[in-house]
Amino acid sequence: MSKDSRMRATINQKLTEMGERDRLKELLRAKLTECGWKDQMKAHCKEVIKEKGLEHVTVEDLVVEITPKGRALVPDSVKKELLHRIRAFLSQHAT
Amino acid sequence: MKMEDMPLSGPDNTKLEALVHDIYSELVDDACLGLCFEVHRAVKQGFFFLDETDQESMKEFEIVDQPGVDIFGQVYNQWKNKECECPNCKRLIAASRFAPHLEKCLGMGRNSSRIANRRLASNNNMSKSESDQEDNDDLNDNDWSYGSQNSPRRSKSLKHKNGELGGSIGSEPYKYNYNTGISYESLGPDEVRSLLSTQCGVISEHTKKMCTRSQRCPQHTDEQRRAVRVFLLGPSAPSLPDADTVAESDSFDIPDGQALMSRLQWEDSPDISPTDSASSKASANHSDSRKPKKKKRTSLALNCGGRGWSRSCSSSSSSQSNLSVSSKKKRPKLSAPSISSIYDDLN
Repeated sequence: MSKDSRMRATINQKLTEMGERDRLKELLRAKLTECGWKDQMKAHCKEVIKEKGLEHVTVEDLVVEITPKGRALVPDSVKKELLHRIRAFLSQHAT
Repeated sequence: MKMEDMPLSGPDNTKLEALVHDIYSELVDDACLGLCFEVHRAVKQGFFFLDETDQESMKEFEIVDQPGVDIFGQVYNQWKNKECECPNCKRLIAASRFAPHLEKCLGMGRNSSRIANRRLASNNNMSKSESDQEDNDDLNDNDWSYGSQNSPRRSKSLKHKNGELGGSIGSEPYKYNYNTGISYESLGPDEVRSLLSTQCGVISEHTKKMCTRSQRCPQHTDEQRRAVRVFLLGPSAPSLPDADTVAESDSFDIPDGQALMSRLQWEDSPDISPTDSASSKASANHSDSRKPKKKKRTSLALNCGGRGWSRSCSSSSSSQSNLSVSSKKKRPKLSAPSISSIYDDLN
């Protein structure tokens, strides 16, 4: 297991060092905005805020409400593309 | 993504795959968190709900989703059928034609001054004698009453023009005049003379107008010019019409189309007189009968030769073409080859 975790750590390190992580982040954000995911989530946020009250809403509230829905609403095409890129990176740089 | 993604093969397959998914989840969570922070900051700073101002304006500008109407609720060609009343001539003009009409009607704008100048120049060339001037004024007055010839394009598309119509095109002050020619039927003898002494003057087959280019105009030959002068001013009139106008002046004393026609008889066509009355009707009613006459004219073109022209014309009662035909001078045969060459071919 430690070998595995070591491998993971190495991979993550490489991902960050080579800038691939940031590139993937940007790619994901762009794609989500483009496909309307962001607007959808914002609308959901509005509902949550109206529910909780404008003055007393906290980050935690939002995170708890938003994250599961957000994960579910990512379109399949975006998901597939990201997975593809990660796999490509791994196959290139894994030992 | 062109092909289906296969999981990585090998013994570490599942682990690697799990790793891939973990990385993906991390990225997605990151995105969600970023959104939350953004929203929270906007809420706390107070600009989150700025796009929802108040209920009234939100309802007012709501997106419309009905057929036949755009998202603002406006109809596409709402103004197509609307008519506006011109403040100048009090006519009802279609909305899309309103601006150009105003330009001509009020005499302002680039085109109208150009046309007016051109008219002025051509009128100055032609109108020398007093009587002709008066008659031209009368013609001008008649022609300025619009009647049904509203659009310049319509008049341009007419294949044949009788004296009235042709004169109206040439003499209206602000009328759009796409043709660069003058109609000889509306001119007195002196005007014709002066015109022919300075300009080419060859009469176009389609428009029955005289060419206003110079005497050396490349579109027409000298033979054509000579033929036109003979036709308009008499058989003994070469390119210098002055010599013979004295003899011929009698024929132009009455420039009225009707009298002209009675005088200028074709040699073997006795049918002019019934058409005289018909043509006087035509000059008053040219608007009504324009379209059918246009069709008849083209069929005429196929059926007639030069001489039998007026006969067939009268028989088909297209008096408009009669006017143009019979207002020619005594020797139509000489002019026929140049003017009506297309008809000769079919004779």
